[in-house]
Amino acid sequence: MHHYLRIWLATARYSIVRTLMFRGDFFVWSVVELFWMTVNLLLISVIYGHTDSIAGWSKYEMVLLVGTSMLIQRFLMGFFWSSIFEMGRNIRTGYFDFYLAQPGNVMFMATTRKLDPDGLINAFVAGGVVIYAARQLGLHPGLGDIALYLSMVFSGLVVHYSILVLSISLAFWLTSAQGIEGSYFTLTEFSRLPKEAFKGVVTRILFVWLLPVVVISNAPARLLLTRYGFEWKWAGALFVFAALWFALAVFVFHRGLRRYASASS
Amino acid sequence: MLSSLNKYRHAFLIGLQSNLVYRWNFAVRGFFSLFHLTVVFILWGAAFAGAKNIGGFDFGQTLTYFVTLLVLQFFIGAFNEDYQISEEIRNGLINQFLLKPINYFAYRFSIYVAARLVSGALILLPLLIALPFLGSYLTYPHEWWRLALGLPAVVMSALIQFSIAYCFGMLTFWFLEIQGFVILSMAIEVLLGGQMFPLDLMPAGIFQIARFLPFFYQMYFPGAIFTGRIGLPMIYQGLAIQLCWVIALLALNQLLWVRGLRRHTAVGG
Repeated sequence: MHHYLRIWLATARYSIVRTLMFRGDFFVWSVVELFWMTVNLLLISVIYGHTDSIAGWSKYEMVLLVGTSMLIQRFLMGFFWSSIFEMGRNIRTGYFDFYLAQPGNVMFMATTRKLDPDGLINAFVAGGVVIYAARQLGLHPGLGDIALYLSMVFSGLVVHYSILVLSISLAFWLTSAQGIEGSYFTLTEFSRLPKEAFKGVVTRILFVWLLPVVVISNAPARLLLTRYGFEWKWAGALFVFAALWFALAVFVFHRGLRRYASASS
Repeated sequence: MLSSLNKYRHAFLIGLQSNLVYRWNFAVRGFFSLFHLTVVFILWGAAFAGAKNIGGFDFGQTLTYFVTLLVLQFFIGAFNEDYQISEEIRNGLINQFLLKPINYFAYRFSIYVAARLVSGALILLPLLIALPFLGSYLTYPHEWWRLALGLPAVVMSALIQFSIAYCFGMLTFWFLEIQGFVILSMAIEVLLGGQMFPLDLMPAGIFQIARFLPFFYQMYFPGAIFTGRIGLPMIYQGLAIQLCWVIALLALNQLLWVRGLRRHTAVGG
């Protein structure tokens, strides 16, 4: 464990030094992410300019939900996105050989190689959105609630990470996983919707339970909302989903790794 | 005159062939855009549960707007033209065009038209699959003049779409990496182009400002004409403003090309 922490700290240090070298790039990407978050909040603001409720959720409850979804996504972008995105390309080009020769678990080495400080900076903004919404709703969560909320956000991050690793691992079989990452972003759109909005049986089964993108954001947001509070069903579902999806990602990644044959040219 | 146009016809045909190679990529993208439509359906369906109409339009009319915009996006949206132009400048591939009697803008535009014909045809496939479900919600106004005024608006929108992408591609003459700018502009275009929500739902003051920006004419304007979200006086004004933006952006394209070439260094052989 200590060994992996040291490796991770070394890669984090490398990423931060690299960011300091390309400060303009860091600034532009931070603004890009900030703007995309603003676009999502504006959508909420415009809809609530014309209606009082979306599936029983008030404006600031929705802001809390969207903020939670953004928080998980910013952590994913900050800690893992670049590494996992490059993994697909490296499998195709043969540069993946590099990870096989490194002193640690291949999945860990390949998916944690780069940190994106711009994503992490915007995680603070997403956190700010959650706090702002909580204050507007007059919520006063205790330390236990906050700890549970953060552990749920972490579990959501694990599910997102696992789904992304699983998708990109398809490159071991398909050679090219280009375009799959775009599809991932489409799926995250569902995580900004309240579960109550899913009326159809098919959409409910598909997006709430099979691909638990809705549970990931709804469970921590509901925990903070006084009208829901702590619900064993949601917390349990989220932790079980995180464990199952992570196990599946590890299994599929290592099965795929067996097929990896480097590049022919 | 005809012979000079002939070379762009060939560029168009090559563009058509090379984009047909990527037909599955477009098909997959089209298929996933149905997921986006599902999000729109769920979100706006939930919003309309608490309000009979939003901004003077019912749920069917709002859904029709989003479906129309999706079709327009695949027929005229600039997907990665900026990136392709940027790559050609960065890798020196642009050098070959400097030595030939070919206009780079016209060449790239021919390829863009070919690419959009392929992607546009391919979005119709998933939409046809979704039609039995969506059909009962789609409500277009029965005013044929909307088609007559909407089609020129679509052509000008395509020119604006491509010109903005071309401008961003040209930035490569000054900046090595433009991906950040491109994604930032994409966010602005998604918001002010009306893809996130119909622009007429914004507060009146902001809507009036948006009407004078080029993004308004990228997607929202033709979409609003076809779906009946704007009336005749605003359409006439809009067509005039849109034409001004087309001329301004074409002039900007030419300016950036000329100024950019002065900075360009063609290395190697």
